[in-house]
Amino acid sequence: MITSTAPLLDVRELTVTINREGGLVTALDKVSFSINPGEVLGIVGESGAGKSITGAAIIDLLVPPLKRTGGTITLAGTRLDQLSPKAMRSVRGGRIGFVFQDPMTSLNPVITIGQQLCDTIQAHLKLSGSQAKKKALDWLDRVGLPNPDVQFKRYPHQLSGGMRQRMVIALALCADPMLVIADEPTTALDVSVQAHILELLRDLHRESNVSMMLITHDLGVIAKMADRVAVLYAGRVAEISPVGELFNAPKHPYTRGLIRATPMPSATGEMRLDQIPGAMPGLGAVPPGCAFNPRCFKAQSDCRATIPPLYHAESSAFSCFHPLERVTA
Amino acid sequence: MSASDFLILNHVSKVYRRNQSLLERLKKGEAGGTRAVSDVSLTVRHGETMGLVGESGCGKSTLARLVSGLMAPTSGEINFPPNAAGNKPRLQMIFQDPYSSLNGRWTIEDIIAEPIRVHKLRQGRAAIRARVDELLVQVGLSAADAEKYPQEFSGGQRQRICIARALAGEPEFLILDEPTSALDVSVQAQILNLLRDLQKNLHLTSLFITHNLSVVRIMADRIGVMYLGELVEEATSEELFRKPRHPYTRLLIDAAPDMDTSDRSLHPIAGELPNPAFPPSGCRFHTRCPFAQDICRNTVPPQKTTETGGMFRCHFDLDLSNASVFPPPAKVKTA
Repeated sequence: MITSTAPLLDVRELTVTINREGGLVTALDKVSFSINPGEVLGIVGESGAGKSITGAAIIDLLVPPLKRTGGTITLAGTRLDQLSPKAMRSVRGGRIGFVFQDPMTSLNPVITIGQQLCDTIQAHLKLSGSQAKKKALDWLDRVGLPNPDVQFKRYPHQLSGGMRQRMVIALALCADPMLVIADEPTTALDVSVQAHILELLRDLHRESNVSMMLITHDLGVIAKMADRVAVLYAGRVAEISPVGELFNAPKHPYTRGLIRATPMPSATGEMRLDQIPGAMPGLGAVPPGCAFNPRCFKAQSDCRATIPPLYHAESSAFSCFHPLERVTA
Repeated sequence: MSASDFLILNHVSKVYRRNQSLLERLKKGEAGGTRAVSDVSLTVRHGETMGLVGESGCGKSTLARLVSGLMAPTSGEINFPPNAAGNKPRLQMIFQDPYSSLNGRWTIEDIIAEPIRVHKLRQGRAAIRARVDELLVQVGLSAADAEKYPQEFSGGQRQRICIARALAGEPEFLILDEPTSALDVSVQAQILNLLRDLQKNLHLTSLFITHNLSVVRIMADRIGVMYLGELVEEATSEELFRKPRHPYTRLLIDAAPDMDTSDRSLHPIAGELPNPAFPPSGCRFHTRCPFAQDICRNTVPPQKTTETGGMFRCHFDLDLSNASVFPPPAKVKTA
């Protein structure tokens, strides 16, 4: 893909395997994508598609037996995959911030939230104690916690789910990162709170122009937040497209299947629900050829024989031998 | 009460009592508690699917437990008017998590055969096995699956087994508590289509509980919206989405992000869900309602009925059919 600016994050042929008794199982199979400065890249897929593994692999937080076995990860000219564990530590939370799904387990329950913020700030920025505290209070205010002075001394259990997630977002952003990886940031929250958190992420993104990788299974969240979208299926990239194109003219049959299977009212208010037959293959059970071929209505013999490469069209890329034609309405 | 009424809830409340200290018990004072379900009146008619939606803590699952008889209401009545034969209807439940609701040490045959044995619906091993096979095929699995154990199946297949088990009891009434929340989108669509077909073919009456408005819109004939233990609105599915009468319903419909990429605005509901143990005075929604006035803070809104047979609890007759009537919510600093 030709872009005017160099991408901030460039991931090439990222491969992650699981060492199981009896051999290696591929969890992530040559995944390539890039994120431009200031861009929000959505990563969407069903559970087991490798969305979270992609996020964890970038910051080297894979839990054994998961292991990165190939590919390159370049962040603003630095090869992250070649960094020492010690150097990687300073990247995590420093140049790359991370927002996890469950705000309760990503905060330390026995340390006040103010102290957690100060610790993170001082670990990555050269600031004195009082400067760090000032910055921490500033961040509590920016993420919308009322009365920062009072909140500073509170513990995670004293906050509601939405407020905890605001706190996690503050932690991810307080060291002025270049990239934020948000892994299902609103999945554990109620609908009314979800919209608040998405709005906060969007506001902070506009203010700081940080790049963002938004991992979610919710196509509604993708439609509202992402600039470009990568669709993952069974550990491979099915399609990468600008968000408008993805929803209006999907290339990969799986993308269209996913959109049509989501219960959503159409513009005319009628409800439709088209299911995709079968289920996504589990780890180690990926069929030969295109991983989607047993469920695909366009599958032909070449789909069953060869893994389709990622074809690059104007603004999008897709891995399918028989992409969907643009439907002219 | 008409002949078509299947289930009638009459001012049902459920209070979860707080543990009292010794001193409080000696004083014999009124124990405080969380009013999980508060004064809910509802009628489900024969052959209809009643949907219940709300956010976490609104009391929708408590209501399911009350209806199923797993818990007794603190006050109010739950009535199944007896049918022509004078029997109470048989009832089955389908739960959210297909991983914890199946016994991993039982084969699928044992699991599905249990309701048949308990209710003595078939006699003899062969007849029971034949019925199990029939049910498995009905939910889209194969008869050969009867020999397997739950852990050999994926989440979607497990939920099919749960559905087969529920149908094995030959229920007239089905309670579905978030049956697809644990499933992926493409599998969720399969299960919803299966449930829709079964409901049509078996003429089941059901109570469908979910937090997802789009799911309930597909599945239910009528929908009740709950907020902090109260039923704030109830209407036919079409009416509720076309012309919601309660501000909370309107806000809830708008809050879920849709897939329209041309309009990327988000519509959060101002403020935060109050603690259900200490609900606000007056109208429970007044702390977050953009239309709230003094009367809402002090007076509990009356139940009003609409000309189409719906119900809503609001002091005002607002026209909420169009999303754009909303004043932009003030920037309140809460999550």
